[in-house]
Amino acid sequence: MTASCTALPAPRPLTSRLPIFLHLAYHNVVRNARRSALTAAAMSLGLAFLVIGRALNDGGHESWIKSGVRMGTGHVAVQAPGFQRSRSLADRLSAPQVPVAESALAAPDVARDVVAVSPRLTVSGLASSPASALPVRVEGVDPERETRFSALPESRVSGAWLTADDRLGAYVGDGLARRLRLDVGSRFVLTAQGADNQIAGQLARVAGTFHTGVPALDEGLVYLPLTTAQGWLSAPGAVSSMAVLLRSSRATERVARALRPSLHDGLRVLTWQEAAPELDSAVRIDDYGGYIFMFILLAIVALAILNAVLMSVLNRNREFGVLQALGLTKRETGMVVFLEGLMLTAASGVLGMLLGFGITWFFWRDGLDLTSLMKDSITVSNAVASPIIVPEFRLSQVVLSLGLTVLIGVLASLYPARQAGRIDVAEAMKFDQ
Amino acid sequence: MNTTPDVAVRTSDLWKTYPQEPEPVHAVRGVTLDVARGDFVAMAGPSGSGKTTLLNLLGGLTRATSGGIEVAGLALSALSDRALATLRLERIGFVFQAYNLLPVLTALENAEFTLLLRGVPAPERRRRVEALFKEIGLEGLEHRRPGKLSGGQQQRVAVARAVVGEPALVLADEPTANLDSAASSALLEVMERLNHEHGTTFIFATHDPRVMERAHRLIRLVDGAVESDVRQDPHASRAPGAA
Repeated sequence: MTASCTALPAPRPLTSRLPIFLHLAYHNVVRNARRSALTAAAMSLGLAFLVIGRALNDGGHESWIKSGVRMGTGHVAVQAPGFQRSRSLADRLSAPQVPVAESALAAPDVARDVVAVSPRLTVSGLASSPASALPVRVEGVDPERETRFSALPESRVSGAWLTADDRLGAYVGDGLARRLRLDVGSRFVLTAQGADNQIAGQLARVAGTFHTGVPALDEGLVYLPLTTAQGWLSAPGAVSSMAVLLRSSRATERVARALRPSLHDGLRVLTWQEAAPELDSAVRIDDYGGYIFMFILLAIVALAILNAVLMSVLNRNREFGVLQALGLTKRETGMVVFLEGLMLTAASGVLGMLLGFGITWFFWRDGLDLTSLMKDSITVSNAVASPIIVPEFRLSQVVLSLGLTVLIGVLASLYPARQAGRIDVAEAMKFDQ
Repeated sequence: MNTTPDVAVRTSDLWKTYPQEPEPVHAVRGVTLDVARGDFVAMAGPSGSGKTTLLNLLGGLTRATSGGIEVAGLALSALSDRALATLRLERIGFVFQAYNLLPVLTALENAEFTLLLRGVPAPERRRRVEALFKEIGLEGLEHRRPGKLSGGQQQRVAVARAVVGEPALVLADEPTANLDSAASSALLEVMERLNHEHGTTFIFATHDPRVMERAHRLIRLVDGAVESDVRQDPHASRAPGAA
């Protein structure tokens, strides 16, 4: 044997020993199969809940938004600059501006995301019947185009939706009809200030009534054919806004950005967040609630991992002492423990994603039906929340959930790894330990 | 300290003190000794005499309070923790009373562990371990986990792990304490042969008279200090002063 007295060789880089550490870490994870399985189960379930929770949350929000925009101004609205604030006929798109807006909306980079465009003439006025007179919002709409856009035609409770050839037909909320004591076929008078600043009246006949569950709509909204409204209000060819319905709310910003350069002259492009800030706030607040839930869930998962890995470390002081006696540095000893945590995290990540996707896919087919908990739809900021929630996958949310799980796996493994590296080797190797 | 090629271990006025109330405990007190390369040394003494602490100091597992230690020509006090780890890997082999094999590895993987850390290629590792296993009677047990081996077999695997890398020094703390007399004798024969044939330096901390009998040099420690240091003939029937 050649006991050398020469200088020590340079320490080998950590990476060159990585396969050894992975081998050790793998066997250590497998060695305590029950503990590892329980830890992995906690992490997997945590991640699965995150995936499912975020998908249901996003699906629910998409449903709110869709409902809100279909009963409101659309995902994107093209308006005159002051209309959002004034809601006045004075702020309208003139007849020559309407085809400009239509043309911009037909551009290929916009049209691919557009489901429907509905021109609307909006005015606040008074609805009078022999029984009463009530303030209302009147929307002049193109009956055919509005059908593709709005949820209201589907919310009919009596009569029929508007038709282009029924000039006097009006589609009114059932609450309004009740308060004015109107039935299908009843006549009533609408009064408002026209574009010429003159007060004008318009005879209308109830074609149908609707019920949305949103009191502001059911008790205060009247739909008229667009041409009737334009004639009544002395605004031929004019509209208050072009409401645009998109395939998904995620396309909102993209479409708004694409429209703005061509519609800057006397026109304003609003996103639904700008047009319906209360709905945007409701979504954001609910999102924050979701994130708080996510944070709590992740904290619990982190503690589960920390507990499992730390317990495993505390029971293996002698083993870490042996590793260091055999030539591992403190850092390398910690690396073995860190890799154990990482392996558990990786395995749990894969399992959790599969479980999360599987359950979400199950709900995605028919939706999560909460009708037994919610007898009727509930309203959120003039939007109707359906009791059936269809989850929506968003890659960003999946990546976020996975990333956070990996992050907590890493963070929860760091402390035990540090502890494993910091042991007093001589103390750890005592026989009576 | 002067470096001498023939000296495997050298200590000078070595102290290890543990701060403790009401008074600090001096586990090692002013130990000065040289151990020649290829020597077969037993350190005996009652429990608490400082044998294990001295071995830990020599192996760089704990730092001295004062004094110097030189192993294979390297002053341990000058080495960083990382360099100490490299020294243990490259120059020192350990055999522990409790075997301390890694339970998740097979006998062969345990034995070749230090070679693996050194980056020795797999064929060379296997060749060396298999030859050693054959030499020390572990042939056929290569793929058993420690839990499936007897105490004597585990301790032989631990010895194989300690010597396979041809270290300058093997430190063995009560290596026969958990073995019956037959297994102890077999293990000592293995270590004597390795000492004789390969020139490996062995230092034992032991209570076992059989180890003391077979040592070439017997150092007695009492209260952390060297009480006697006797060179002896291992072939004599009984070590002088052995219990």
